[in-house]
Amino acid sequence: MRLLLAEDDQLLVTNLKKDLETAGYAVDVAENGVDAEYLGNEPIYDVAILDLGLPQRNGIEVLNNWRASGNVLPVIVLTARNAWHERVEGFKSGADDYLGKPFHVEELLARITALLHRTRQQPGGKLKVSDLELNEEEQTVTTPDGQSHSLTGTEFRLLRYLLLHPGKIISKSELTDHIYDLDSDKDSNVIEVYIRRLRQLIGADRIETRRGQGYLFKDRS
Amino acid sequence: MRSLQSKLSFGLTLSLITLFTTLWFLISFSIQYLAEDYISSRLQHDAEMLIGNIQVDKTGQVKLDESSINPVYRQPYSGHYFLILSRQQNLSSRSLWDQQLQHTKLKPGEQFTQFQNGPDNQSLLVLSNGFSKQGINLTITVAEDLNPVKSNIRQFRIRFAIVAIIMLLLLVALQAYILRYSLKSLFLIRTELQALQHGEVDQLNENVPTELGPLVNEINHLLGAMEQRLRRFRDALSDLAHAIKRPLTVMQQLTDNNKNTMPDELNKGLVKQVTEINQLTDRILKRARLAGHHHSGSRFSFAHDLPELIETLKMMYRDKGITIEVVKQEEVYCPIDREDMLELLGNLIDNAYKWAKQKVKITIAVNAVLTICIEDDGPGADPQQFQSLDKRGVRLDEKTHGYGFGLSIASDMVSEYQGTLSFSTSKALGGFRVDVSLPMDTDLIHPEAT
Repeated sequence: MRLLLAEDDQLLVTNLKKDLETAGYAVDVAENGVDAEYLGNEPIYDVAILDLGLPQRNGIEVLNNWRASGNVLPVIVLTARNAWHERVEGFKSGADDYLGKPFHVEELLARITALLHRTRQQPGGKLKVSDLELNEEEQTVTTPDGQSHSLTGTEFRLLRYLLLHPGKIISKSELTDHIYDLDSDKDSNVIEVYIRRLRQLIGADRIETRRGQGYLFKDRS
Repeated sequence: MRSLQSKLSFGLTLSLITLFTTLWFLISFSIQYLAEDYISSRLQHDAEMLIGNIQVDKTGQVKLDESSINPVYRQPYSGHYFLILSRQQNLSSRSLWDQQLQHTKLKPGEQFTQFQNGPDNQSLLVLSNGFSKQGINLTITVAEDLNPVKSNIRQFRIRFAIVAIIMLLLLVALQAYILRYSLKSLFLIRTELQALQHGEVDQLNENVPTELGPLVNEINHLLGAMEQRLRRFRDALSDLAHAIKRPLTVMQQLTDNNKNTMPDELNKGLVKQVTEINQLTDRILKRARLAGHHHSGSRFSFAHDLPELIETLKMMYRDKGITIEVVKQEEVYCPIDREDMLELLGNLIDNAYKWAKQKVKITIAVNAVLTICIEDDGPGADPQQFQSLDKRGVRLDEKTHGYGFGLSIASDMVSEYQGTLSFSTSKALGGFRVDVSLPMDTDLIHPEAT
């Protein structure tokens, strides 16, 4: 899952980026409103965390512009100005969730997970697709035999993306877009290595390779 | 203070009455004077005519040539009389019949005017002149009845009074109309002020008579200045909140991240302090942001703002699947600042959503006071603590219903508007119930009808 963090406080960004990456998100940072709006219009993000007090262009304006141009990127608004009229305005502008500063990272992560599940019409809590259960906090997958397997960072990101898009053909470039951030070295060949490792864990037939098109996670239920 | 209209009407009516009365007296007396003056000059002429027709013979006998005098002097009680006095003789007109005129003898050249009662209840104007003819001193007294003239004058006075009273009434009505018409712009301004109170307009119409121009301009200027000041003030507070929350957020992150490496006690202490600073800042800033009854900014609209707020809460709590029921009158007018009201309702409904299992109910009614009742079907609170719930401004564990921060902010807002906030157990839903009542500024909304 690739996440856009639009926040101008350097220190907060450093800490938050680390936490988000640990939680399995590829994070790009925009430090002002103009960059945030531009990046958010790229179709590579799964969720955005938008601070309302951005320099150059404030968050509400960025959000309004996204929604006006038909961009439905899920957005969690982050703000120090947590008056109710601002909250109302935030939701009216098209925010999907709202978090006041200061906040606990756990709460932010829980809200991101909930929002991503909601966007993919998945119920809250653990991500369950057919007989697989992904624990996003511990980054483990439980297979039908009841065994829990821990995943590496990239494996976790890859599996989560596949589980959130069951029955849909996903190209290699889409996978790299949503798994790596702007600064990463994108080698799409590495994807194949991780796919092979996932097949060993959850069964080879669950991830189908469509030659020339990409991968398909099969929902058995 | 008495109304301008009644003051002006009173003054104008009084001056009109004075004017017409003075005029009436002046004209009546002038006419009476003129009539008497005219009659006395006619009498003078008659006297001169009489002296012209008098013959004095050698014995000193006075003779009047009756044929040449006005026949009216021969007709009994005609109202025209004369009396010629000489040393030996007393010659009266035939019209006097058996009556006499009171008389005095005058020296030649003397003249005397008097009023007398004559025959037949006549009131006579009597003019006596002293003459000398052919060496004999004569006093000629001529009299005329004033009654016909007097009755004419009386009739004139009555007619004049009637016309004057009709004119007076017409003028009073006319000036009342003119006043009402000219004061209409004042009534218009009053209506506009009401609209301003209702938040229907944010400026007064400047198309008013020149006398009112400066007043209206000044009010508009003040309104603009107040709104601008409130806006600036709120922006500054927002910026302050933003500035304080930044380091707080970072502190929170640092404590969270280093949870495992620092002593538990230190970590807990830091978290507690950060939360406390955050809540204190919020509460103080939110209290400072309240506009109160200053009527600048925009008003809260139950028709427009409430649904948006509820939509926001539904979004925030969409996973809980709570149904909300809103009971309110068709048009609820609310002279309360939009941001203040959103803050109040936001905190209270949020509290209800937080604890509700399935249902939240909001009931709004307005007459002299605006009453808002928010109920939920959650666990409720201990009745013994209803009194002190909103006093616990800063409280870290929000495990009990109603405790905490939202209620204390709501309480600040309610006291700013001189209202009351009370807590109880909901009879309908079984959970917590908050009752807010805010007095409407009735003096300003409904100025006393005059």
